Order: sequence, then C-alpha cells, then structure tokens
Amino acid sequence: MKLKITGVVPLSPTIREFLLADAEGAPLPTAGAGAHIMLRIPGPERMWKNAYSLVSSPEDHHEYKIIVRRVEHSRGGSAWLHDHAAIGDMLEAETPQNLFPIPLLAYKHLLLSAGIGITPMLAYLQVLRKPFELHHCGKLEDAGAFAGLLPTAPNVFMHTNRNALDLEYLLAHQTLGTHLSVCGPASFMDVVLQTAQNLGWPGAKVHKESFGGATGGTPFIAHLRRSNITISVGADESLLEAIETAGLTPPSLCRGGACGVCETALLDGVPDHRDHYLSDTQRACNSAIMPCVSRAKTPELVLDI
Amino acid sequence: MIKSRPVYRPFALDVTGRAHLVITDQPQPPEALDLALANISLWTVKTIAPGVPAPAAERCRTFRAVPEMFAFLSHYLSRASIGLRFYAVGSEPFIWDAYNIGTGAGLTAAEMFLAQSGPPCRRVYCCHCKTMIDDVKETIAVCPGCGSSLQVRDHFSRRLAAFMGVKVDAETPGNIPLPELLSS
Repeated sequence: MKLKITGVVPLSPTIREFLLADAEGAPLPTAGAGAHIMLRIPGPERMWKNAYSLVSSPEDHHEYKIIVRRVEHSRGGSAWLHDHAAIGDMLEAETPQNLFPIPLLAYKHLLLSAGIGITPMLAYLQVLRKPFELHHCGKLEDAGAFAGLLPTAPNVFMHTNRNALDLEYLLAHQTLGTHLSVCGPASFMDVVLQTAQNLGWPGAKVHKESFGGATGGTPFIAHLRRSNITISVGADESLLEAIETAGLTPPSLCRGGACGVCETALLDGVPDHRDHYLSDTQRACNSAIMPCVSRAKTPELVLDI
Repeated sequence: MIKSRPVYRPFALDVTGRAHLVITDQPQPPEALDLALANISLWTVKTIAPGVPAPAAERCRTFRAVPEMFAFLSHYLSRASIGLRFYAVGSEPFIWDAYNIGTGAGLTAAEMFLAQSGPPCRRVYCCHCKTMIDDVKETIAVCPGCGSSLQVRDHFSRRLAAFMGVKVDAETPGNIPLPELLSS
C-alpha cells in the first residue's frame, strides 16, 4: 500500500511523531493494538525496510500514527525519517501485522516498556478494558517527550532509569491472572524475561515485542546453497537485507527476530543468534538461523536457500 | 482412545515454580511428594477424624470435606502471587473441579498439574435432565433425576468435570446391553 505523510510532530530532538494516510485518501485497514507497519524508506544506496508500532487507535481508519526515534549511528531508516521526511512525501508500506496482540485472557495487564518500546503500549492504553499497570523506563532527556503521551494516572509509572524500577518485587507480587507484556531494547527485554522466568512466570503469560532489529556487526560471507550465490554481508546490513540485495525475496515479517517467519535452515557455520524466537535447544543445534537479526561467529555461513 | 479423554502424567513437582500448592481428596499426600522441599503447601481431606482438624504443620492443612477445601481454595488463589504451581491429585471429578477453580483464578494449563489416583469412579452427566451423578462405577447407571438407564460414554467434559451419560436404548428401544464395570 502507498501512504502519504500527513503530519510530522517533533516530540524531542531525537523523537518524532509521523501521521500517515492512504495516498488516495481511502480508508486504512484496521490494525489492532500492538500492530506494526513495515515502511520502505529510501536510502542513498538502497531501500530500508523498517517496522514501526502503530500508536494510533485501532478505530482510526483515517490516519496511522508512528513514533520514531533517531537511532544513534542509524543505518538509514530513522535518519531519513528525521532528516528528509516531510509532509506530502509518499512511502511504500506493507499492510500492518500484529505480533503483539493484547492477551485477552488476562485479568490484569502488567505493561513494561523501555525507551521507544513505549509505542505499542500507547496503542494498548486506548483499548484496554481490564485493569492494568504500566511501568516505563526511559532516559531523563526523553522523559518530557513521553510524559506528554502518557496519561496521568495512579497506575502509570515513569522511571528515569532502569534501576529505579524494582523489577524483582514487581514481578513477584502479581495476582495469578496477570499477564506481562514487555517491549523495549533487547537488553531490557532480556532482564525482564529472565527475572520473570526466575520467579516462575509461565511462558504463556509473558508476551513480548522486540524492537530495534538488526544492529550490525562483523562482516561475513554467506553461501546460499540452493540459489548458488555467495554474498558478503556488510557491517551495517543484516543477513536478510544482503539476501534481498542479491535479488532473492525470502519471506519475512517483523524483521526484529520475534516472529519466526524468516527462519532459514543452516547447513554449515556457527551463527551468532540474536533473535527471540528460537529455543535454547534449537540455538544449540545451529541448524536454523533468523537472518533478519542474527549474524555469524564463523567467517562463513552456508544457508539452505 | 477418544480425544476428550484426558491423559494424566504421574505426580511430579514442576521445578520452574516458585511456590507449590498440592491438594488431594485423599487423607494421605501423594507418594512422590517430598515435603522437605521449600515452598510446598499440602492440603488433604480427612472425612472421619475426632475433633476439629488442626494444621499438622504450618504449610499442611486438613479439611473435613472437599467442598470445604474448595471454598478455601478460591479464597487462597485470589490472594496468591504468580509463580505458583497448582497440583490436584485424586478422583477425576475432584481434579477437574480443582482445575476449573484454578482457571477461574487466572491459572493457565501450564501452571496446573493433574494426577488421577484412587479407585475408578466417574461423575456422569445425564444428557436428558442435566443431573450430575457421582461415584458411578459401572455402565449402565440409573439417573436419579429422570429415571433413565444411562450408558456411560468415554466422552469427558472438562468444564463439567463429568462423563456423558446417554439413555442406553435411545437408538433402538429395548436393545439393552449388559452392564460393564468402568475401567477408570
């Protein structure tokens, strides 16, 4: 689908809100709370495909709203949105997908977010019908930007650093019907998920949306066995992007290592698993890789693609 | 084997839990239970015993009857914290009643463990008049509600914690098979 930028609102020097409407003015598809949209963002050398959570109300078929942080050492997507995107610009986008739907069986929602991970929670807050408690951890310089987006309520808490939140106490004192939804950078998610697991939270009550996606790393070589192509994966691109640059179109969805759609069989080499999808056992087998975020520990990988 | 017929694993503690509540409709705890482990509570039922049952130890409770235990269970679960693992050991109607109380309190299947013990007996739901018949040991059972002779089928309802009872000669009136003992 083709979208037109209809509004740009700076919330802080590094955080901007964008409003997107259908290029022809047609009604937009419904996207439930927690959904994201993948935008194709033009870059100097190639297109970037970046996923952003929708923060607009699911009832709004007129405009989608996203909030974008300018990533330090941005590889392209967020830098273009901050530096070049203007009202009236057209963007190609995929239909919204929801990999982080509201857990409807919950009696209470415990929402934990950090940094720009607040975005799906903003959509949640508009439609939650059960009691909830939101804890957001953010840097001090972002506090102003986020405070304006969050309601002032006794069950909404802002923490200006992660240590200010006693995660262990919070997770240890929740009623049996509570479901945990967590979104933020990988380091935050890892701590929350590990703490929850240590305290006996069952996997079925922990819901996560990973953010940030590929972070780059050491360049490596990938052999695509079935296609008989050898590609080099640069320091600032993901394996999936390199595969796409080579002309292949493997299936992908979240591009953040969460959904599992891009799972690819690995024939040789040791991957650097960075996803949230594969189980520990699957990781140890080194027989599959999520090319959207994971990289290589060995100089070369051989993929069955 | 019918799909609706539950399959039970032998009783074992789930070590990923932070606290454990084991309930049984028997006077004795399940054999495999090691009470020396931390954070285990055990609830049993002693129907015949002199005096008022007193807690044997801080974490052990004895109830006079299953309904008394269930009334306290709902209260207990509403105040419990996540991380609890809930185990019910006993007759099939007992463990599924417990399961449904657990579900109502917000527990999911991943946090509940059911183990069947004791002699085979079924609770039967009369499809014709909705009467529940407890302690059924053989098919054919007579419904005390409508007087029908019921064939006890293997179809099990987790919501009702009961097996399906259908009038035995509903298809061909007068064609009544011989009674059989139920295996479980």
